[in-house]
Amino acid sequence: MSRKTGRRLFWAVCLAACLAGFLLSVLTGPVKTTPGDLLRFIQSHDRVQAAIFIDLRLSRAVLAFLVGAALALSGAILQGYFRNPMADPFVVGVSSGASLGAVIAVSLGFEAAAFGFSGPGLLAFISGLGIVSLVYVLSLRRGGFKIETILLTGIAAGALASALTSFFLFMRSDSYDQAVFWLLGSFQLAEWGQAATIAPWFVLCFVAAIWLARDMDLLALGDETAQALGCPVRRVRKTFLAMSALLAALSVAVSGIIGFVGLVVPHWVRILIGPGHRALFASSALAGGTFLLYCDLLARNLLPAELPIGVITAAVGAPFFLYLLHKKR
Amino acid sequence: MDVALTTPVAEGDPPKAGGPPGLVPGGAGGLRAISFAKPNRGLPRNREKGQIIPASAPQDFKDDLGRPFPLPERTPERIVSMAPNITEILFALGLGDRVAGVTRFCDYPPEARSIRRIGGLVDPNIEIIQSLDPGLVIAFRGNPLRLVDRIRKLGLPVFVLDIGQGLEALFPLIAKIGRVTRSEERAAALAAGLRRRLEAVDAAMGEVRTRPKVFVLLYGQGLWTCGGESYVDDLIVRAGGTNIASSMPKKWVLYKREQILEDDPDVIFILARSGQDFATGRDWLLRKAHVESVAAVRSGRIYDLDENAASRFGPRLVDVLDRMARLLHPELFGDAP
Repeated sequence: MSRKTGRRLFWAVCLAACLAGFLLSVLTGPVKTTPGDLLRFIQSHDRVQAAIFIDLRLSRAVLAFLVGAALALSGAILQGYFRNPMADPFVVGVSSGASLGAVIAVSLGFEAAAFGFSGPGLLAFISGLGIVSLVYVLSLRRGGFKIETILLTGIAAGALASALTSFFLFMRSDSYDQAVFWLLGSFQLAEWGQAATIAPWFVLCFVAAIWLARDMDLLALGDETAQALGCPVRRVRKTFLAMSALLAALSVAVSGIIGFVGLVVPHWVRILIGPGHRALFASSALAGGTFLLYCDLLARNLLPAELPIGVITAAVGAPFFLYLLHKKR
Repeated sequence: MDVALTTPVAEGDPPKAGGPPGLVPGGAGGLRAISFAKPNRGLPRNREKGQIIPASAPQDFKDDLGRPFPLPERTPERIVSMAPNITEILFALGLGDRVAGVTRFCDYPPEARSIRRIGGLVDPNIEIIQSLDPGLVIAFRGNPLRLVDRIRKLGLPVFVLDIGQGLEALFPLIAKIGRVTRSEERAAALAAGLRRRLEAVDAAMGEVRTRPKVFVLLYGQGLWTCGGESYVDDLIVRAGGTNIASSMPKKWVLYKREQILEDDPDVIFILARSGQDFATGRDWLLRKAHVESVAAVRSGRIYDLDENAASRFGPRLVDVLDRMARLLHPELFGDAP
């Protein structure tokens, strides 16, 4: 099978799975609904059903898709950026920074909503971006720019943020239950407002990433080579880092920390369709969105009570990842 | 204490860290309800005895978040309660048949168990709430505000209540639930009954000379007790005792063994969910806790308190108060301890 056919097949499967996922999301939930209900609802508008189908289930599915796409794209960008398959939004400290912000907000009872985010969401967003900027500035000051430096700085800053998070959780054990929903992620409170908040940014970053994908391909050859081939390395690097940080911070702000999507989805995609970044970015976004859509379906239907989605992403993602990895070898 | 950031959470096994172990129950969950209620100190509290919220114009009525709440014309047909103590008060007001949804922790009165479960306190299922099409949702400050807002955005009328620090806060709480369910008279009657019992205890305590030192043990691992911010502290004071942990500015604290030896409490209450738990807890205190020198252990003044009643900020707190008062001062009530 040629690479091109393989890619087409991949896209077809992903799209079909994605559409099926949306339909399943709208049809399943703790309140029993049948396809017949949905058809009847489309014909005659019922207030309670409208709230359940459109306001609760569809908004949630859309948000899950957007967040999955954003996380996977962010991961794909960072893996290219660091030329390291271990990179994901956790590495540069976005996630740990954001969880620190969210836990502080929950502990201090800062719950007021602003700019389409909840209080913890807003603080998560700010602290997530803040810690990346800090990591970036710290790495720059060490004379010139080195990938290892930013990786290590990111890990150290992330560890510090995690320690502070644990400290706040320990001091204010009252808020632990609420904080857990941040630390493991949940779409429990999804609403259209959140989807509308992140959608424009996601689209912007997505288009920019596709636009700059060729430069990312050049970066894979090494910074000097890329520079020689006419890629404005520093500017491109800065843009990519900013984009991936923005995508990850936005995701965390609306849904809490959802691990594994950013790390694993780009890998799957790379294994299946190859390393060209333009296709990789687009496919990662689609596959990530679809993956998270299904994870959320599981999270809300597996048990009577909702599971945090972070549990599902890791539990489902890891075995599948191992399978692909070994099949390839 | 080790805080695992990736602890998976499943139903009936809520995560915990830094909290009293006994407080995170699989089934009861009452103390949990309190343990994350944050009293909103900015709220004006109704401190006068038994006063009913004045019958103001309906549009002036506000919930405990200070948000205007349009009063319904009559008692809503379907009410969703988002906390065990609210469920309990609704039943005490005779509104049990109107309660359409409760949390999985709402197990009192027993009839509440057969009502549709909406989930937990921090993770109720919004879809189920919506499907019940309630005319009123009563939440409290322990429910995350984001969640309350999410429900409000569906167009459901959500009334948010705060719980206070002392027993006195029970009265405005009952009055507000009565008002929002348009059961003002029943609420006034309930409050008056509770007030009489409270005053009886107060009157009896007027003559009290000694105030036994009290330690409240939360059944579980270690010496978890209630600090000065807990309303249990208020119960102890009203029952004519002093809480040895009252200087701790927290709701629940892990007491140090040395501290309990030094404070030497005269009476120990064990908050237990069953007689079995109480027996286990008492045996632990007597044999394994290394607190043999404590007066209460030597004299055997170790009593149980119903965790289910004591953990919910509802009418049964007065039962708990009665029991405490009788056990602390049997001489005033003419009872054998």
